Amino acid sequence: MDFLNSIPTHMDFDGQAKAEKYSRVIITLFGAVGLIWGYIIQQFSQTVYILAAGFLLASIITIPPWPIYRKRPLQWQKPRSTDSNETKKKKK
Amino acid sequence: MHSVLQRGNAILAYALSVLAFLTFLCFASTVFLDYRTKADMNTVKVVVKNVPDYSASREKNDLGFLTFDLQTDLSSLFNWNVKQLFLYLTAEYETANNQLNQVVLWDKIILRGENAVLDFKNMNTKYYFWDDGNGLKGNNNVTLTLSWNIIPNAGLLPNIFAHGSHSFKFPIEYTTSRM
Repeated sequence: MDFLNSIPTHMDFDGQAKAEKYSRVIITLFGAVGLIWGYIIQQFSQTVYILAAGFLLASIITIPPWPIYRKRPLQWQKPRSTDSNETKKKKK
Repeated sequence: MHSVLQRGNAILAYALSVLAFLTFLCFASTVFLDYRTKADMNTVKVVVKNVPDYSASREKNDLGFLTFDLQTDLSSLFNWNVKQLFLYLTAEYETANNQLNQVVLWDKIILRGENAVLDFKNMNTKYYFWDDGNGLKGNNNVTLTLSWNIIPNAGLLPNIFAHGSHSFKFPIEYTTSRM
């Protein structure tokens, strides 16, 4: 279990948006190409196989948290002391 | 999209949506095609007997026997949305009891990729040509028609009637000898 938990799965927000965009583009592209090819050779099974290849490629590219999806981690603010917080509230 | 499972789920759901859409396009690309074509048929030998129908009432009913020729080229019907054709040869006739009688005499399945240029000579029927009475003897207008049922990948299951039919007469005497 420790080993499973040690596998990194985290993407930052920017990476999540990218991953979703890439997966959509890849699957749509393979679907369109598969449709055209399947129509040319009149075999709908080829369309399905090409779409399945696109699904596999999209899975490999966008499911694991590759480094390109972790370039912009959130910049958290430095923790502040509670005293200064209270003084701010009073000012308002 | 924050975890592996969520990303996998999103990709799978999107891929399946795309697959459904592609299947619909495949259906839409073939739904308006005209699947009718010409078929030539002819009867060779036609006799009628009067024998007990043990599968039904045991009463003596008319049983027709015929052999037929059939020529047609169905290879133009196949496309990416046709998996197989189910051909069936129907005899239609009118009797005193019924305005319309339809009996399927023969059928054949043609898978895509099989030879679809048919040229049969002197074929026997596959199924008995029973009448439900004595309507076959001397019946002078029995019409053979060929139809097919298209089995698609996606879409409708239309029954198509071929262009062309053949009308024939049954003899006015029963045949009693064994055939």
